[in-house]
Amino acid sequence: MSYVYSITAKELVEKGRDNIPNELQSSKHLIYSSPATLSFNSPGAQGFGVKRAGLAIPGSVMLLVAPVCCGRNTQALAAPDGFGERFFFLLQDDTDIVTGRHLNKISKAVKEVVDSLETPPSVVMICITCVDALLGTDMDRVCKKASEYVGIPVLPCYMYALTREGKLPPMVLVRKTLYSLLEKKPRKKNVVNILGEFAPFQDNELFEILKGFGIQRIHEISKCKDFEDYKTMAEANFNIILNPEARHVADDMKKRLGIPSIEMTRVYQIDKIHKQYELFGSALGVSIDDTKYYEEAMKVIEQFNTLYPNTSFALGEWCNADPFELALALLRYGHQVKEIYGTITNVNYVYIKKIAQISPNTKIFTNLSPTMLNFNCKESEVDLSIGKDAAYYHPECPNIPWNEDNKPFGYAGLKELFTRLLEAKKGE
Amino acid sequence: MKGLLKYLSPFAPDQSGAVSVFYELGGIIVICDAGGCTGNICGFDEPRWFQERSAIFSAGLRDMDAILGRDDRLVEKLKDAAKYLNKEFALIIGTPVPAVIATDMKAMKRMATKRCGMPVMSIETIGTRLYDRGAQDAYMELFQTYVEDTQEKSSKTGILGCIPLDISVLDPKAYIQEEDYYCYGMGDGLEAIKRAGSVERNIVVSPASYKLAVYLQKRFGTPFSIEYPFLPDSFEEELNNIKDKKVLVLHQQVAAHEIRNLLRKNGCDVTIGTWFMEIPELKEAQDLHFEKENTFIETVLKNEYDVIIGDPAFKRALKGFTGKYIELAHFAVSGKFADASQNALWK
Repeated sequence: MSYVYSITAKELVEKGRDNIPNELQSSKHLIYSSPATLSFNSPGAQGFGVKRAGLAIPGSVMLLVAPVCCGRNTQALAAPDGFGERFFFLLQDDTDIVTGRHLNKISKAVKEVVDSLETPPSVVMICITCVDALLGTDMDRVCKKASEYVGIPVLPCYMYALTREGKLPPMVLVRKTLYSLLEKKPRKKNVVNILGEFAPFQDNELFEILKGFGIQRIHEISKCKDFEDYKTMAEANFNIILNPEARHVADDMKKRLGIPSIEMTRVYQIDKIHKQYELFGSALGVSIDDTKYYEEAMKVIEQFNTLYPNTSFALGEWCNADPFELALALLRYGHQVKEIYGTITNVNYVYIKKIAQISPNTKIFTNLSPTMLNFNCKESEVDLSIGKDAAYYHPECPNIPWNEDNKPFGYAGLKELFTRLLEAKKGE
Repeated sequence: MKGLLKYLSPFAPDQSGAVSVFYELGGIIVICDAGGCTGNICGFDEPRWFQERSAIFSAGLRDMDAILGRDDRLVEKLKDAAKYLNKEFALIIGTPVPAVIATDMKAMKRMATKRCGMPVMSIETIGTRLYDRGAQDAYMELFQTYVEDTQEKSSKTGILGCIPLDISVLDPKAYIQEEDYYCYGMGDGLEAIKRAGSVERNIVVSPASYKLAVYLQKRFGTPFSIEYPFLPDSFEEELNNIKDKKVLVLHQQVAAHEIRNLLRKNGCDVTIGTWFMEIPELKEAQDLHFEKENTFIETVLKNEYDVIIGDPAFKRALKGFTGKYIELAHFAVSGKFADASQNALWK
């Protein structure tokens, strides 16, 4: 039997937002594990999961307190950027996971780690996992005790996969932890923080636009030179949220430090980018002229459209885009989107409604469905795919992974996307 | 401090060993976790996962599943998936989550067998133990479930213990010298396992499969020997240059034993050091078993070996070692193959 579950955009919209089929809800079926789902199943194994993200504070180290299985993939994180030198492990045994006796060892383990380093760390992050979630460990208390013992800040990082779809999932909490050491300072009008990611953003027009109205320092945590530099983030006049997972920490910074925030979204529909800058400008009381950036991006889009009109795409979710918004953008630029592998949310359902109007037969799959084991690319040929997961399903098709740690944004991101698509087609 | 690793990274856990045993056998494998364990097993410990599709799933447990112990939901999900996948059996693999909430894996196995109408097995791995323990338990569950009673004997040899985590190669058949054999789990599947009682003899290639060999010997009278045919040629050539030295071999014990036998021909004084299971009959008085990182470092440095043979990951902990270090990767330690040219195939 080679059944693969999919639904067209039209069928999905006809069912309505409140009747999403069970096959598209991850809580209603087993979660298929393929290379296309690696970022879902183990966010720490690819890109920035809790482990890598937790080390965003300059000079920090991490002690993972967990069973041996939870630390295994840390080997994979060690190589590219030297993270291996910053990870330490306190492995729980059979008795620990039942009695919680490991908690009594944490302060001493932190001290042993700190003493083994030539330069004392700025902060020790304690990363705990599902086991302590179930034991109900009060990690704030454990960290406070450890901090008093070693005389260095010790902070908790919660790698609770069990709460991934809860109100405060691990990647939201880790962001809050990262900024929790900032202390209230007088705000400076010409300083701004960009919140959301753990590696510097790709060069984009937002930096130039901000400088255009007098902003002189634009902080990203990943660009902080050292701990002292990190602490100056508390001087920001306002925060710009570029990833919704940073909303919670932005609220916290508003309460604790009095720093307000404004949110912008990564989108690929050029008119929406323009509209977003208009709104951004009016919120700040300035006028933003984005004509130059708009035209530069449009030029590359038109170049692609001329050379490769009516291109058919397969889009995955393992990339720096909401695949449904990206699909809508590509459809509006005159192309076809035959397949989308994505997770449906309240936010992207809005895009699906619009996709259904332009391209009702676009098929929607979920990477996580057990039936994806039967997926056969020969049954649906496409010209180009975007996302690492899409590449897995269409191995013969030109692909751009579009999933770098350095995230794209705005017109520059759109321009870069089409530049890469051009390169992929040329290299075919 | 026991459990504290300052230089080493955790080795492959029991659940990875158990999955590895079943990986090629054509069943549905369900890892009873929230997702992270599955990602670790597939993305790091199972190189075959990148090469071929397999029916491997996470249970996708969430906090309320764990709090309420909703095993029946998992069984229903398994039943739904089985409808579309046409597989011969299902396997449920334990992780720390079911261990902490004391899930009765045997009861779940019985419930799933009834509801799904197919053989279901379960392994009580808990994520705190090492891969060899998981592999050992998986071998026992698998062979006790499937091996058929027989009086017949064939001329075949059974190779017990072939999983990438232990033999650190993906193509065992390129190394095995026997003419007529079953390589269970890496090349030969359930049909071969069913006939495991008929083989003339077994070869044990890892400590994890020793218990199985003893079981098959008791049940069918099948004799076994302990051998390790998976050393790369280039490595064996390198061994030829080591003469009259004091050598420490860090690996799984059967591989290390093979190396010891080769080095002894050159007059070397060889100690085996391992973090993993040991077969009593291979252990010699000077051999070392490690459980703590600091003891490992102190013991190895104190003994002043001329040569250490081991996984590259151990080097970081042995910075004070001044002798010659010869790398031989152990997949369960570093996730690397013995033949380094194979690493590019999956990373």
